[in-house]
Amino acid sequence: MSIGFAALLAAGVAAVWTTMRSQAHTDMVNHTYTVKLAIAHTQTLIEQGETARRGYLLTGDPDYRHNYDVAALQTAPEIARIARLTGDNPVQRRNLATLRPYLRALFAQRASTNGQIARGDKADALTSFLNEKGARRMYHIRAVLAAMGDEETRLLGVRDMEQRNTVRAFYGVLAAAGVLLMIVALLSITTVQRYTRDLAQSRDTLRDFADSLEDLVAERTTELTRANEEVQRFAYIVSHDLRSPLVNVMGFTAELEAATATITGLIDRAEQDAPEILSDEVRLAAREDLPEAIGFIRTSTQKMDRLINAILKLSRQGRRVITPEPLDTGALAATVRASVQHLLDDRGAELEIAQPMLAIVSDRLALEQIFSNLIENAVKYLDPKRPGRIIVRSRREGVRAIFEIEDNGRGIAPADHARIFDLFRRSGQQDQPGEGIGLAHVRALAYRLGGTIDVASELGRGSTFRINLPITYVEAPTTRTERDPA
Amino acid sequence: MNDHRSVSIVMIEDDEGHARLIEKNIRRAGILNDITHFTDGTTALDYLFNHADGPAHNGPALVLLDLNLPDMSGTAILAKIKSTPALKRTPVVVLTTTDDKVEIQRCYDLGCNVYITKPVNYESFAQAIRQLGLFLSVIQVPEIEGN
Repeated sequence: MSIGFAALLAAGVAAVWTTMRSQAHTDMVNHTYTVKLAIAHTQTLIEQGETARRGYLLTGDPDYRHNYDVAALQTAPEIARIARLTGDNPVQRRNLATLRPYLRALFAQRASTNGQIARGDKADALTSFLNEKGARRMYHIRAVLAAMGDEETRLLGVRDMEQRNTVRAFYGVLAAAGVLLMIVALLSITTVQRYTRDLAQSRDTLRDFADSLEDLVAERTTELTRANEEVQRFAYIVSHDLRSPLVNVMGFTAELEAATATITGLIDRAEQDAPEILSDEVRLAAREDLPEAIGFIRTSTQKMDRLINAILKLSRQGRRVITPEPLDTGALAATVRASVQHLLDDRGAELEIAQPMLAIVSDRLALEQIFSNLIENAVKYLDPKRPGRIIVRSRREGVRAIFEIEDNGRGIAPADHARIFDLFRRSGQQDQPGEGIGLAHVRALAYRLGGTIDVASELGRGSTFRINLPITYVEAPTTRTERDPA
Repeated sequence: MNDHRSVSIVMIEDDEGHARLIEKNIRRAGILNDITHFTDGTTALDYLFNHADGPAHNGPALVLLDLNLPDMSGTAILAKIKSTPALKRTPVVVLTTTDDKVEIQRCYDLGCNVYITKPVNYESFAQAIRQLGLFLSVIQVPEIEGN
């Protein structure tokens, strides 16, 4: 496109240039005509002068003399004019140089004969006229002037040709420009058409996309919900099926323990009655190895049971039916504060609920659990080096409610900010009881309420947990039909 | 105790370990009734409904039922027992790992008499079984008196 326009511009420049050239050539041709005219005029003047002189010579009539003088007077300026006009042409300069002596001689001769007549020496004048080599001189003058005329005619031919060439070139340039113009126009039209087509296509695509976006969102939401339910069902089944063997492990461990007690009793009796039948190994096995092994089995199974229960609890949380109701979150937070008041008192900490707190529509139980978990955590992980201070606040952001639980506790290392929300994961010094379930639970609840949770924390400075919930809970589309078999 | 009239116990439990633990604790509670053990629902149902010694044809029984069975759901067995006139008075004790409230509710709706969760904590488990033993000795009495 731009090349096309550049070519067009070049064609325009070329057209201007050829026009200028053409103008110059026209000027040159005109100039040649002027020169030719001047040569012809000079010749005429010379011939006129000769005629008038001859008339004067024959009749002595002063009218002829006057005519001669007029012609003679005009000759010199005309020659000068030719010299000026043809100053750039060496051929003509040479011709003029040849002409000038002849003319000087001619005019001297004429002046002499005219003077003789004026004095009355008509006979002398006639004689000198007859003796004159004038005819010869005139012949030369005519020849030179003819040569000059021929030279100009030649020049005219050359210039004429040049002019014609220029005109031809001009037409060529014009034609090329025309073709270029057509090409550029075609290109422009094609480009514009293509752009228009593309634009229309994008518009259609956009419209289709907008139309299908809603379906897409619904589809994805359904998929997500289904995947989520799948995970929950999985967690539920797994936790149940894992419990079954655990019942056996614990049950038979208890049987082993009972048996161990029996055997230990027997060994105690043998120790008294017949110590010689006992070896150290037997004593060690009954009194240390067996109880130790049983103890480890027991604590491990108990822990496993707690973990399985945690998974079960989480999976239940996801399946729980949410019943949205208008909630005064300030009152809700106050309830939670009352439930942890003894802990706060123990640690000399205080909990401030920044009024006013938002009123939202959500599930009371879920929100209470979220608050209680986060506040309990804040109390649990306060820094003993400074008086604990926990602030609960809320603010509105569009259709979302933001709740913040801020503490000045021991903080969480940046690497753990995402990890702490995972099940069974904990952060920092493990000096507090817990299985790493609370925050996973809170996050599951937040998701269930259509919200999110994140944390901003600096180690040794404190943490701020931020929950983002819809002001009004809206039930997500669900594929759930009936509850799962146990 | 009259052996002919005594309640026979039908235990439907696919986990051998659980079955053994249940039996041991029943015995420890002093219950000496016969215990017939089935590990799947099909043979258990066949025994309950068709066998000559089964409760449908021969005297009182008590069913210990696990809900997680390989071939069918325990609730299906429960529903069948409770919808058959010859068996619907037979007490059914559901013994399972599920402590889901809805599940428990459903079992009671179907007519289960006692629902016991198998706790991992063995002491509570043994305790529950022994209480079940007491329950068994209680229901034995009217059967004897009735005859």
